[in-house]
Amino acid sequence: MYVDPRWVIVVLGSAAAFGSLSPLVYARRFSFFAASLPHSALLSVTLGYVLSLSAGGHPAAWAVALSLPPSALLIYFLHSGVSVDSATSAFVSFSVAGSVAAMYYVLTNYPARVSLWSYILGDPLLAGWDDALLVVAVAVPTCALAAYTYMEEMSIGLDAESAAASGVRVRLHDYLLALLLTVVAVSLLKAVGFTIEHVVMLLPGAIAARLARSARAFFALSLASSLASGAAGLALSLMANLAPAAAIGFVLLAIYVASLLAGGGR
Amino acid sequence: MHSVRGESPSIEVDHLSFAYSGEDLVVRDTSLSIEGPGLVTMLGPNGSGKTTFFKLLLGILRPLSGRVLLNGEDVTGNPLRASVHASYVPQLSAVRRDLPMTAAEAVESALPRGLRSRSRALEALEMVGAADLADRRLSAMSGGQLQRVMIARALARGTPIVLMDEPFSGIDPRGREGIAELVEELARTRLIVLSTHDPVLTLSRSKLVVIFNRGVRAVGRPQDVYKLELLREAYGPGVLLIEKCLHVVG
Repeated sequence: MYVDPRWVIVVLGSAAAFGSLSPLVYARRFSFFAASLPHSALLSVTLGYVLSLSAGGHPAAWAVALSLPPSALLIYFLHSGVSVDSATSAFVSFSVAGSVAAMYYVLTNYPARVSLWSYILGDPLLAGWDDALLVVAVAVPTCALAAYTYMEEMSIGLDAESAAASGVRVRLHDYLLALLLTVVAVSLLKAVGFTIEHVVMLLPGAIAARLARSARAFFALSLASSLASGAAGLALSLMANLAPAAAIGFVLLAIYVASLLAGGGR
Repeated sequence: MHSVRGESPSIEVDHLSFAYSGEDLVVRDTSLSIEGPGLVTMLGPNGSGKTTFFKLLLGILRPLSGRVLLNGEDVTGNPLRASVHASYVPQLSAVRRDLPMTAAEAVESALPRGLRSRSRALEALEMVGAADLADRRLSAMSGGQLQRVMIARALARGTPIVLMDEPFSGIDPRGREGIAELVEELARTRLIVLSTHDPVLTLSRSKLVVIFNRGVRAVGRPQDVYKLELLREAYGPGVLLIEKCLHVVG
């Protein structure tokens, strides 16, 4: 069985990035945001592609630049007193309608030059060296930032008011986490695919929360379950000729079910 | 680390007003001056704005008008500056017990980055008699145990002022007595302002009582303030005098 090093880099790099962010998403109750991010990422990636053709530049750079303002706006609305449900509804409505319109435009105007399917289904097996480098460039600082801010995020998650009273800049952390999630979701969309991205963002944290007995174990278990599902999913996809993203999703689900059966979550 | 900073902690509130939206003032042109150390009990009905008032003192909320001074420093709307002087113990109902966190980590996470260490967290837990809980997950604790951990989290930074928001809520009677004794001990070297619906536990331990309903209605020694007519100003006619004991029934 041939295993290309680029596949391994893309899959494990993505797994590390999502696995390190997932406990933060869980602790900060950002799952509403994480679940809606793939919609926004798909819109940004599609528009980024169009802009890179018309104005030059790298499509990923355009996509990241386009995705940040809506995410920042969402957090701004939440801080302005708009309810999570209302803000998320508006965010998802905008990004879903926008992504459909943008994809339709791209598919009817550039039919032979782009495959949006790779963004929708995810295809790490088509990754080139530039894709692998992008994943590394995103994953390394993401893991570092997630680890660096972890205790503050846990403190806010425990109780935001007492965290603020202890000198943690809660508002800054809200924006930082939202923007970090956005950058990762957009940059790694091709590696994991639109349909499963929110799963890899949410499940590692949910698994770790059931099994961990401490905050440090929570982070480590989330990272470990994400990396294990990435490696096992890649192997499974190669052996069984499955879509890699689907195989990774199945493995994550299997780990989650096992954690439920093991009666974790003291 | 746990030595309390400052000789005489003080809170000064100058004509403070606040509304979440529109013109419905939750705190209306209120002023207050307290010097410590000692225990101050704040009484007021549900929805009277006690928690909001605490958040204003902590700089978490910015008032429409007025100023907050902690130890003489203006901290109005500035939680970073306020955090140097005051710490906060939230209501237990606001604390997420489902997070996989040990007691030591909960305390540690409230320490500034440079001072963050397990040994400091253990010292704070020791102060509240919860050292044996250090490695226990928060979800496995009783209400009283968790409250001690949250108090340790507030004490760990050594601020001379501690605000406690209904620290007896959700705790069994025996646990409440234990927390009240702990608070009394801590108030010997700190200025502790505590809101509660159960003044029986704290009246005899308090040097001051504040009657609060959308602003300070009365402030003074317990024997001067804990009176029918003053309590009715905050609670309305639901305060009854039965067998020489005051009861809030509405």
